[in-house]
Amino acid sequence: MPLTFYLQLAIAGVSVGAIYALVALAIVIPFKASGVLNFGQGEVATLGAYTALILTQSGLAYPVIALLVIVTGAVVGVIVERLLIRPIASAPPFTIVIATFAIGLAIKSAIQIHWGDTTFALAGPFGDDPVIVGGVRMNPTSLWIVFCTVAITLLLAAFFRFARTGKAMRAVAINPEAATLMGVRVNGIYRWAWAISATIGASAGLLVAPVVGINPEVGQLILRGLVAAVLGGFTSIQGAVVGGIVVGLLETFASITVGSTFKNLTPFIVLMLLLIFRPYGLFGARDVHRV
Amino acid sequence: MNVRSAIGAIGVVALVFVASAFGTYPTYLLSLAMINVIAAVGLNLLIGNSGQISLCHSSFMAVGAYVSALLTARLGLPFWAAIPVGAAAAAGIGALLGLPARRLSGIYLALATLGFLQIVQIAIEEFADVTGGVRGLTIPKARVVASAAPMSAFALFCVVLVSCAFSIWVARNLLRSRLGREFNAVRQSPHAAQALGISVARVKLTAFALSSGYAGFAGGLFAIVVGFVDPNEFGIGAALRQLTFIVIGGIGSIVGSILGAVVLSALPELLRPVKEYNELVSALLLLAALLFMPHGLVMLWRRLLPTRLVATRESAA
Repeated sequence: MPLTFYLQLAIAGVSVGAIYALVALAIVIPFKASGVLNFGQGEVATLGAYTALILTQSGLAYPVIALLVIVTGAVVGVIVERLLIRPIASAPPFTIVIATFAIGLAIKSAIQIHWGDTTFALAGPFGDDPVIVGGVRMNPTSLWIVFCTVAITLLLAAFFRFARTGKAMRAVAINPEAATLMGVRVNGIYRWAWAISATIGASAGLLVAPVVGINPEVGQLILRGLVAAVLGGFTSIQGAVVGGIVVGLLETFASITVGSTFKNLTPFIVLMLLLIFRPYGLFGARDVHRV
Repeated sequence: MNVRSAIGAIGVVALVFVASAFGTYPTYLLSLAMINVIAAVGLNLLIGNSGQISLCHSSFMAVGAYVSALLTARLGLPFWAAIPVGAAAAAGIGALLGLPARRLSGIYLALATLGFLQIVQIAIEEFADVTGGVRGLTIPKARVVASAAPMSAFALFCVVLVSCAFSIWVARNLLRSRLGREFNAVRQSPHAAQALGISVARVKLTAFALSSGYAGFAGGLFAIVVGFVDPNEFGIGAALRQLTFIVIGGIGSIVGSILGAVVLSALPELLRPVKEYNELVSALLLLAALLFMPHGLVMLWRRLLPTRLVATRESAA
């Protein structure tokens, strides 16, 4: 009994963590490419969840919904990058941080005006009957989340390794000037980075909706996503995924060991400790920079 | 006496006149606006002058508010003793958070302060025995001494007015002092500042503690004036609102902080008929200010004043 219990907890933790991993990826990709940390990323997930809600209410099938959510995400990413981020790209970090926050707040309050604070339920694609393997009960939605996260991670890894645009994005991340001289259109790469990031963010919203319901607070996901990103060293894809899963497991196990009060505090205490002792994350390279 | 002191004096007289002539509610709103001014001035010292980021000044405000509230509600301390203790507590916690902040900059500092904001929010909600949790905490009406009659809204307004004027005066003199110049040096180039013999770590820490103290002071006044505190008042929305004050007013300028806080405190009143658009409008205003008016309202102010004054302003800022 205890073993299956812990296994079940671990699976729950991993599936929660998979969502955090997706949000972390959505944060890390544009940050790595362009140095902009999008604090509005959580609201992109909210937007994905509400897009799924509208489409479900109009009676579309899940695969169509998923596709449209992805397209919506990409379009939103491109628009935000072109209209709001590029004009202030050379401003000090403070301006950019506040701007991305304001974008998130604008999306959230627009949603709140239209839908209010009601929580809407969204059915998972495979129903709610648990899958039982060797005495361990697993929620099909959780399995689907984990599957999608693995698939997205593999796609991204392949993209950065084999695709021309992916390689160009890595080049821009290392040195934008040199990449420009090599014929890379840096602005085009930024657009790609934001499109990919918003796509992943919106997918995270779609995936998490059956678990937590759809309300304007879905965007709170970003807080855990940021912890995951810091844990993973902030610039590495693998780091973001591992970071997300670690945060998910930490939270799940914290709730049975130290109680629910500290469950909520755990990720942020971890964040503070990390920033104090290992700001470059568990996997990131130490970037020595003294003043 | 120069023109700007004259403008300040006229402003004070006008405020007192409005508050005494127009009844309780406008007086209350003016008090809140001035509390926002204190918070904005403090935040601007940190962001605009010392060049650090904080996304958690609403948490320092919460510390000041809750400490003052608990001291008056549970221990029966008079407000004039409780508020400075609250401000000192906020400054102390700000200094503690400033310790790691010395080594962090840019987005990492933004992240650390965001994490701190969450910790404070969760702590207030979870330790409901002390803080009242999400249901909030009611504070008895302010009295000068325990046996005196409760103070009127106008008396409280006068307290806030004096506090606000004092805060502005301190900030203004501070920026003209050695420390203020060190703040600006550290912002413009930490390397150059270090080379000139300024301890960057000490200056950053001082800025953090001082600015948190301002936030705590504003928080304490808020608790006493409103008579009620709950965690919602001090969440990320509030932190962002304070940032909006200084962005729209003008980063690094005391006049900017005042203009921004006053204009944006009036906004919810102007939007009263369409209350649900409040947050959306302020988010869009913030974006518009960042995109089209990066120097803030203070630029308009400077254009309106004669050139000679602008010159003295520039050298003072």
